[in-house]
Amino acid sequence: MSLYDIIFYLFALLVLVSAFITVTSKNIVHSAFSLMFTLFGVAGIYVLLGADFLGVVQLLVYVGGILILMIFGVMMTNEITNVDIKTGTTQVVPAIIGVGLFAGALTSMMLRTGWNSQPSENMDTTTYAIGKLLLTEYVLIFELLGMLLLVALIGAASVARKEKE
Amino acid sequence: MQVELTHFLVVSTLLFSMGVFAIVTRKNAILVLMGIELMLNAANINFVAFSKFGGFGLSGQVIALFVIILAAAEAAIALAIVLNIYKTFSNVNVDEINNLKE
Amino acid sequence: MNYENLYSSLSLIQPEITISVFLLLIVVADLIFDKNKALIPFLALAGLIIASVQVILQVTNTGYAFPFSDVYLSRKGMVTVDAFGAFFKLIIIISSFILVYFSYVSDEIKKSEKNLGEYYALIFGMILGMFFLSSASDLILIYVALELLSLSSYVLAGFSKLRTRNSEASLKYLIYGATSSGLMLFGISIFYGLSGTTNLYEINTFLASHQINHLTLSFASILIFAGIGYKISSVPFHFWTPDVYEGAPISITAYLSVASKAAGFALLVRFIKSAFVTSDDSLGYWEILSVFDWHSLLILVSILTMTLGNLTALWQNNIKRMLAYSSIAHAGYMLLGVAVLSNQGLVAVLIYFFFYLFMNLGAFFIVMLIANKTGSEEIDDYNGLGYTSPFLGVALTLFMVALIGLPPTAGFIGKLYLFIALVDAQMITVAIIALLNTVIALYYYIRVLKHMFLTKSTVETQTVSVIRPNIIFIIFMLAPVLIFGVYFGPVVDFAKRCVQILGL
Repeated sequence: MSLYDIIFYLFALLVLVSAFITVTSKNIVHSAFSLMFTLFGVAGIYVLLGADFLGVVQLLVYVGGILILMIFGVMMTNEITNVDIKTGTTQVVPAIIGVGLFAGALTSMMLRTGWNSQPSENMDTTTYAIGKLLLTEYVLIFELLGMLLLVALIGAASVARKEKE
Repeated sequence: MQVELTHFLVVSTLLFSMGVFAIVTRKNAILVLMGIELMLNAANINFVAFSKFGGFGLSGQVIALFVIILAAAEAAIALAIVLNIYKTFSNVNVDEINNLKE
Repeated sequence: MNYENLYSSLSLIQPEITISVFLLLIVVADLIFDKNKALIPFLALAGLIIASVQVILQVTNTGYAFPFSDVYLSRKGMVTVDAFGAFFKLIIIISSFILVYFSYVSDEIKKSEKNLGEYYALIFGMILGMFFLSSASDLILIYVALELLSLSSYVLAGFSKLRTRNSEASLKYLIYGATSSGLMLFGISIFYGLSGTTNLYEINTFLASHQINHLTLSFASILIFAGIGYKISSVPFHFWTPDVYEGAPISITAYLSVASKAAGFALLVRFIKSAFVTSDDSLGYWEILSVFDWHSLLILVSILTMTLGNLTALWQNNIKRMLAYSSIAHAGYMLLGVAVLSNQGLVAVLIYFFFYLFMNLGAFFIVMLIANKTGSEEIDDYNGLGYTSPFLGVALTLFMVALIGLPPTAGFIGKLYLFIALVDAQMITVAIIALLNTVIALYYYIRVLKHMFLTKSTVETQTVSVIRPNIIFIIFMLAPVLIFGVYFGPVVDFAKRCVQILGL
């Protein structure tokens, strides 16, 4: 077992265990914090897959942005002092059985599929190539995302504004 | 055991299933949103892993980048709506908000 | 990508560029004219007029834009501009024109007049998303456009915040929407893993030439159908529809029920045809790859959709909710047209959609006028309305008759072409089920008419007076429903012209 493998298993364990806590924890604050570890672990997996730029973006946007938003949401909608916030769940047992079967079937299906396999050579850095792709092949989507962010900005501001009667 | 594509796929599949589990069982809107984030992350791991092991170039990474941006935009709007609901109802449990059903 | 490519690509997405430019103009105008927002609807109209001219030109000026150059040397690009896409863009444009008038009249929107800038900016965001959905031939572009459409409509569904149910509609829409788009993304990632590309044409070539695991592919296709099914509100992704339709402002409800559904159908047809169909045979039936049984899936989904929509509509007392379920049922009929998997079925879908646009928006408009006056959308409050406001009563009756699909209205022609396509494709059982559904639908539409004309009101029914511009508008909406019911040749010819999807 090489060092690479050991690091992979550590990150995979981190992702799965913290994701499990996220989806099962009775305490919403615990969920939010374990989600942080999940997102961090996913960033680690990106780096293992040779996507260094993406790993950094994951940390910046997800851990630094989305997660902070979520924690703000949690804190503003629940009194933080009240640790035992009720985060009731519905029909847990059928859901566990159903999702368990689903996960099993899905995993075995993914394992049986003959995927394309011709591993690419390890590139040292991806930032230059990604930047080039963004402005050539994916330029349309890149620009459209600009419009989308503008619309999202307007939309979020429109939702958050105070309604004066 | 040498780490291969399937290892990454197992991680992403389990992550996806946990996201589905959160969406099915959770009542709190923010927790449901967390489940959705897990699903998006699972799909992103797929994209990056496929593009590395399948030799598809960097397109998978670019797509994952787009998805991260979209997730941020979606989360911003979602949280704004949730806070707005909280102002009117003072709770964010999906099940308790059912004025619309007669 | 070289510059020559870029210029020709840009010239093919002119309508989208116009919409983007006007979105920005509206944002700027909103800032400049801080006090008086009366100009903004006219700015929106100007944008729509320019875009509509450009869309009409697209019926003949077709081609591929934004070709991939790096990994796969393909002549076919991310965006496919063809007559089929132009047809759906026209439907979106026409309903956007109607929406502008709707919003101009609607009391709900008038109350938040200060925010008209945001309102129209978000609507243009929706239009941009729908335009790209109708002509995208790349899964990632599809996903981004779908998100653009969804994000704008989440906010619009909760736009008028004077009533609590609007924000509730918004939240429900968002939770279901984000879930289904998450599912769709996972499906896209599997497609990417199998074929190494997100371009629909590349996927088609790959599926035709390689042995792949059918189970995995079917799973991925179903996940992608989840994202599309959510937009066209087909079973089992319809849960959001009644709540959102009831909770959102009426103008947005009407728009969602036509335009966003049109984009969903355009996407569904293009996805199936570009990624799974190898060629048309001489009769116009599509030679579909045997990797996934779209035929059975679509038939199953459409029968469930129409039956559930119609049966649930029977119990509704709120007319917006009833129209929501009826729109689910209509989506079911149109899915049947897609399930035929032939050019004839597609023609039927196009015709049906064109007529559905007028009859559905017309019905919503009258519901809105009545709600403006009485503040109620309950069917019980329509008692005796046919006598106090005869013009509205008669007009609503005609729209309802068209929605049922009875002659001499256009609704009948839409259903007729659909049934002919079904019978020609030897799908007799399915046709009978659809026919039985129409009979069920008869009941709940007639119920509204019964309340309007036969039930005596216990309290004094308010007279809803209609100002002249609204009368003209209603006549303008009624005219196509009645005229095309008799003289439908041009529409059929136009639809036949527009079934050509590039890429085979």
